[in-house]
Order: sequence, then C-alpha cells, then structure tokens
Amino acid sequence: MIIEVNKVSKKFIIRKNLIEALCHPFKTRTVLALDSVSFQIEKGESFAILGPNGAGKTTLIKILSTLILPDEGKVKLFGYDLKTHSEIIKSRIGLLTGEERNLYWCLTGRQNLEFFGTMYNLSKKQISDRINELNNILEIDDWDKPFETYSVGMKQRLALARCLISDPEVIFLDEPTKSLDPGSAHKVRNFIKETLVRKLKKTIFFATHQIDEATQLADRIAIISQGKIKACGKIEELQREWKVDKHTSLNDLYLKITG
Amino acid sequence: MGAFRKPLAFLKRDFLINSSYKAAFLFQYGSIVFSVLTFFFIAKLFGKNVSSYLVEYGGDYFSFVLIGIAFYGYLSTAMGSFTEAIGKEQSCGTLEVLLLTPTKISHIIGYGALWNFFFTSLNVLVYILLGILFFHFPIAKINLPAVIIILILTIISFSSLGIISASFILVLKRADPINWLFSGVSRFLGGVYFPISILPGWVQRISRFLPITYSLEGMRKAMLLGSSIKDIWPDISALILFSVIFLPLSIWGFKFAINKAKKQGSLIYY
Repeated sequence: MIIEVNKVSKKFIIRKNLIEALCHPFKTRTVLALDSVSFQIEKGESFAILGPNGAGKTTLIKILSTLILPDEGKVKLFGYDLKTHSEIIKSRIGLLTGEERNLYWCLTGRQNLEFFGTMYNLSKKQISDRINELNNILEIDDWDKPFETYSVGMKQRLALARCLISDPEVIFLDEPTKSLDPGSAHKVRNFIKETLVRKLKKTIFFATHQIDEATQLADRIAIISQGKIKACGKIEELQREWKVDKHTSLNDLYLKITG
Repeated sequence: MGAFRKPLAFLKRDFLINSSYKAAFLFQYGSIVFSVLTFFFIAKLFGKNVSSYLVEYGGDYFSFVLIGIAFYGYLSTAMGSFTEAIGKEQSCGTLEVLLLTPTKISHIIGYGALWNFFFTSLNVLVYILLGILFFHFPIAKINLPAVIIILILTIISFSSLGIISASFILVLKRADPINWLFSGVSRFLGGVYFPISILPGWVQRISRFLPITYSLEGMRKAMLLGSSIKDIWPDISALILFSVIFLPLSIWGFKFAINKAKKQGSLIYY
C-alpha cells in the first residue's frame, strides 16, 4: 500500500467573537473536520474523495501532504509515518490546488520552476532536463514570460509543471479544475487520466465535489460527508453496498449516501 | 556549493521580484538621502552645544546619529523579516507549495529573510558612504575587526528576537508583543538618536536590558574612536550573553510554534 490512513480524526478550534470571549473565556468551541477516517490506496491507483463543500476533503489532503497534523490516528505514505518522516514523504509527493495564485507572479514560468526545482534538491542539469520533459508533456508555448501574463488555463499547466518538477510518485489534486472554464477543465481531466495515470503510472488522490469528474478519473471513490467516510470502493461496489441497482448513477447514489 | 544553492535561489528570487519594482527601489534611496540631510542640518543647528553628552563618542552629533539610524535598520530588519517571509509567501499564495517541498520551514523563513539583510547592509553602506563623501563622516580611526565582531553579534542577537517574534505570529497571527517591546522601545531607549546618558538614571537601567544599546555603543566606539576589541569587551560580552540566551530560546520557541500551528491547522494562514 502506498497510502494508509487509519482512524484519522481532526478537530479545529473555532475562534470566538468578543461577546463569546467575554461571556465564556475558558470555553472552546470545536468543529469536527474528520471523524475516524480510514482507507488504503495502492500504487498506481486513481482515488477520488467526493463530498460537498466543508465535508473535510481539503483537511484530508492537507494532512496527507504533511501540512496539518491529525489529532488522532495514523497516516503512512510509502510505509513512512507522516509524523516522523515528513521530509522523506515531501520529496516524493506533489500537490496541485485549484487556486490561481500558487507561483510567483513577477517571475517567468522557467524562473518559477528553477526555484521550486532547487527547493526539491534538484541540480541545475536535472531541472533543465525536467523542464524539457515537461514541455513535451504539457505543451507550454513560452516559458520565459512573467507568470502573471499567462492565461488561466496556461497558469494551471504551469502549476502542474511545478507539481511535477520533482517527478513525484503520489500526486494530490485539490479540486484541480475549480477555476477553469469547461474547455480547459476537460483538457486538465484528460491530462490527468491519459498522461498522469495511464502513461506515467502516478498514484493520484484527488478531492472534488464534481460527480462527473470523479466518475471520469477515479478507479475508486470515497464519499465523505461531515468528516465521515460514508462509502468507499468502485462504483459497482458502492451500488452493491447501498443495495441499489447497477443502473443507478453515481449522482443518485451520492445523494442517497450523503442524505 | 550544494549547501548554498537554496539560500542563493531565495536571494535570486527576491532580487528578481524586487527589481521588478524599480520605482520603490529608487524611492528607498531617495529617503536615505533626505534622512541623512535632515540629521546633518539638525547637527549643524545644535553645533557643539550637545558635545558634553557626546564626548565619549568623539563629540560630533552627525556621526553619532548616522551610525544610530544606519544600524537600527538591522534591528527592524531582524524583527520584521522573518514574519514578513511568511506573510509574503502567504499573500503570493506560494506558502503552501513551498512548505510541501523537502525544505525545512526554518530554512524557508531564514532564507526568505536573507534579501532584507542584504538590502539593509546595502543601505548601511549608502548611509556611511554619503556621510564620508559629503558630510565629513570620520573614518580615519575605524577599527574594522571590532566593527565586524559587533556586526555579527548584532545580527545574531537581533535575529534571535526576530525568530521569537515570528513564533508569536505563527501562533497568535497578529498580536506580537516581542516586536512591540523591542522595536518600539529600542528606538527610544537604545540610543539611536541620542546618547542614553541624557536619560534619567532609572530609564538608563532599563535600556541596559536591550541588545541595541550595546550594539550601538560598541559600533560607535569602534567606528568613531577606533576602540579595540578589549576596549569594547563589555559591549561584546553583553551581546554574546544576549545571543546565548535568545538564540536557543528562539529555536525552541520556533519549533514549538510550528508544531502548534500544524496541529491548529493554521500554518498556511497568516
């Protein structure tokens, strides 16, 4: 197993407003973001976490990518414990979010990749070779203009190039098509499916609230609601588990599961 | 060379970003010129009347205050740069992806502050050069080894305070008592604009708890009087003591803050 998540829970403290702070200075309010979440992912698998906004998808991705520590439970990536071996794990993972601003706007595409490549301990030669490889994969027309001047779709390709610069084994995608128009979103989905999964055999973990995106890209789907995984498996397994006929769409199944 | 690749990459990045704002760069040096001119004419206004307080620094107010304002820059840089390094990444939207690289967060913050220290050093050089070239700032007696020792200890002790300040920001986000305490109070009590001997005795005793007091005292004596390392040993030993206390405290505090912010889930929010 490349990712093992075992009974992971996470609570966040909600900031008090002034009146609450004065009336109840010692009382803390918390929100349960993840509730005893468990699953395993195999190498080369494309796994979707599907759920409504605020269900805990981003929290889960941030825990898996070492940015947040869980309160309870164990997470292992590549057999390493996330709490004790985060530096090793970080050198083997990549993250792409749907946010437009995740590279330096004043730097060119190439300068951005050179900077992040250095942060991944790549040599100058390795970075240059990798940029050439990525150029073939991503078809970026011009690497040498400021990032701010690229179109939204091209910015997302450059963000993908940043994510792939270290040739990560596991790629986390947090709503990767959120800010894209339907045409660009379609291209990104195709790239994920055809290039990352089929050609490059990457392990993909992606969070989405778009049912068609999950259907199109995932080998297995976990449906999450209010921090709890309600169902996990291939679509036909979910249909069997929730006792619906095999013609029931994922959309209907999702609505049934999430209530 | 491998060990320097990441700090150099940060320096190159910040140079490229900052050089794209040419007007801001020019205005910065314009304000240095006006600052030097202001204090030159204040010194001219008072002439030698303030000299009784300045005898131990050579008697010239302009030289005294030029060192004060030039080297106070190190304190404000050290106090602000580490938190600014986090804030800038956050506002660029790059903090998350940078934290995902196998680069320690202490390195991200430390390397992120390098450009500001480089720029502050450049500013100090400009202050001193303007003083030498146009306003008769004396350099004949300067004791360079003593200046370098004081400068290194100044950067270490000020940076330790800056790292403690960054730790507060990581956990509390806005409220930062260390920055308020040391930046604000140091400007008044540390002898930036006037010698602390002018202050009432009990206030002078408070100023002895600030590293900037020893930093400026040692720097002025080494630059203006050519004092030897032995002569300024009390200032050097005080700065060593501050470094020995604050550096381990800052490293411990920073690790604690990172862990707390990771548990709170607030590491990427500023």
